[in-house]
Amino acid sequence: MHARATFGQWGEDEACRHLESHDYKIICRNYRCRMGEIDIIASKNAEIVFVEVKTRKTLKFGIPAEAVTKAKQTKIHATALHYLQDNHQYFKKFSFDVIEIVVEGDKFRLNHIPNCF
Amino acid sequence: MYAKTFGETTCGINGEEIIVEVDISNGLPAFELVGLPDASVRESRERVRAALKNSGYKFPMTRITVNLAPADFKKDGSGLDLPIAIGILCGSGQINAEAISDKVFVGELALDGGIREVSGILQMIIKAKEAGRKEIFIPPGNAAEGELVDGIEVFAPESLTKLAMHLEKTEKLAALSKRKMSIESNCVYNVDFSDVQGQLVAKRALEIAAAGGHNVRMVGAPGAGKTMLARRLPTILPPMTEEEALEVTKIYSIAGLLNRKQGLILERPFRSPHHTISHSALIGGGSIPKPGEVTLSHNGVLFLDELPEFSRMALEVLRQPLEDGFVTISRVQATLTFPATFILVSAENPCPCGFFGETDGVHECSCRIGDIERYHKKISGPLLDRIDIQIHVPRLEYKEMKADNRAECSADIRKRVISARELQLERLQGTGLHCNAEMSRREIKRKCHMTLQAEQLLQKAFLALGLSARSHDRIIKVAQTIADLDGSEVIDTVHLAEAIELRTISKG
Repeated sequence: MHARATFGQWGEDEACRHLESHDYKIICRNYRCRMGEIDIIASKNAEIVFVEVKTRKTLKFGIPAEAVTKAKQTKIHATALHYLQDNHQYFKKFSFDVIEIVVEGDKFRLNHIPNCF
Repeated sequence: MYAKTFGETTCGINGEEIIVEVDISNGLPAFELVGLPDASVRESRERVRAALKNSGYKFPMTRITVNLAPADFKKDGSGLDLPIAIGILCGSGQINAEAISDKVFVGELALDGGIREVSGILQMIIKAKEAGRKEIFIPPGNAAEGELVDGIEVFAPESLTKLAMHLEKTEKLAALSKRKMSIESNCVYNVDFSDVQGQLVAKRALEIAAAGGHNVRMVGAPGAGKTMLARRLPTILPPMTEEEALEVTKIYSIAGLLNRKQGLILERPFRSPHHTISHSALIGGGSIPKPGEVTLSHNGVLFLDELPEFSRMALEVLRQPLEDGFVTISRVQATLTFPATFILVSAENPCPCGFFGETDGVHECSCRIGDIERYHKKISGPLLDRIDIQIHVPRLEYKEMKADNRAECSADIRKRVISARELQLERLQGTGLHCNAEMSRREIKRKCHMTLQAEQLLQKAFLALGLSARSHDRIIKVAQTIADLDGSEVIDTVHLAEAIELRTISKG
């Protein structure tokens, strides 16, 4: 796998670990359809959560959450809708979260922004 | 976190207080600006962001909601940058929330954190004072205006950093010292009535116009000196009162025409728009109405050179402000009333070629009768009816032009005008009026007294000249001014006769 993809993959692994330690159940990872991709789909207390993970090594180009632009949000919305229809879960409560991970030396900082778009 | 600051914007010629609320909450980085901002306010987001960063502060990378209250009227101008920036600093805990209560902030931000000047500061400070705010922060470029208002502490920080340091009490700014509004200061004009040789009738007419606030129309051949005379009218007008000067300064402040160093405008305005002016530029207009030429000449002179060349529409819109002394402009966004009390001075030629009625034997009018008629038709009767003094300005003869005797200077004429105005103010006490031209029929009946002979003369003239009721009133007003200049208590036949002559000369 390409180095950058591996790095992103690592971020998503960390995000999953974080979610699980906060009592989320991971339902699906890297859900893909023709509309786009959702990094993590998890659930907690009968609520379904669509998570976009952004991982960065440097803040030179802005914080990770800034990269979740309007266009990206629209894409995730469409993909989520596709997922819900595909799995016959029309009336579920759901939320869209962003998890940003910034690497600082050997450590990293993780920020979970719930229900943000 | 929530923070509340106060900003100011303008509405018509008055300031309007805006409450700027900032809420910073968790979420994706976003900046929502609500409360009917127009384009220049919406763009403040980019300026605020860069200014905060370059001043060494953090622009919070979370969800920022800014609300401009009251939410029902449209905000314009870049002066809201500063309260938004302060609100964000406060909402994100970078400065103390208590430090900003009861304070008003106005200013446009430069990307490096500097504070740039905005227009309309004077009325904003006045409004902040009326609202009971203790301190206002304005751009350093507008400091001259800040020195004019008493009863509120005015600061002019150069940059966001200096302002924040003042609010945090680490490095205090000094409040602007108040300048005494000295109306007395002598304004220097670079023109004077002594420059004009001869033209005694026209000079007398302008003196009467200045004394009573009457409108003047001058008709004459090209080069006779109409424009020269009109330009010298402000030099003999009485100085403005403090109230008038403040009003004029407010108008110029909002129009962005204020000299940054000067502060208060002491000279009466003199405006001479070009004849291609549109009607909305003349009376004011725009989607959020801005003052037009009639408002910019408030308390001064509006000079329309080549009157028949103006578009008919532009001339007709003058009728209402000439009568009422204000204009109300209605647009979808707002309906605003601007003051417009001015002396109208107009100049025109008697015909398109300019020499109609010339008797020197050299020039002959080459216009066809139809052309002359069409030329005059441009100016409607109702408009002419509102002009009290109408005179013919003849071409100078060689002898007159080369005469050695110095003509009377403006200062001397002005003295007579001032004493005539004092008599008027005394007589009009309690009516709220300032000069004879503003009198209505009621005041004329009560305040103007005529001798019996004058009364008889007026009756004769009314019948012989076929005067209208309005003309009748206007002749009395001008006669009253002439009597005032004479220092006479009652209007005598000489005063009335001169007034009638001044009104009718151009027709004969």
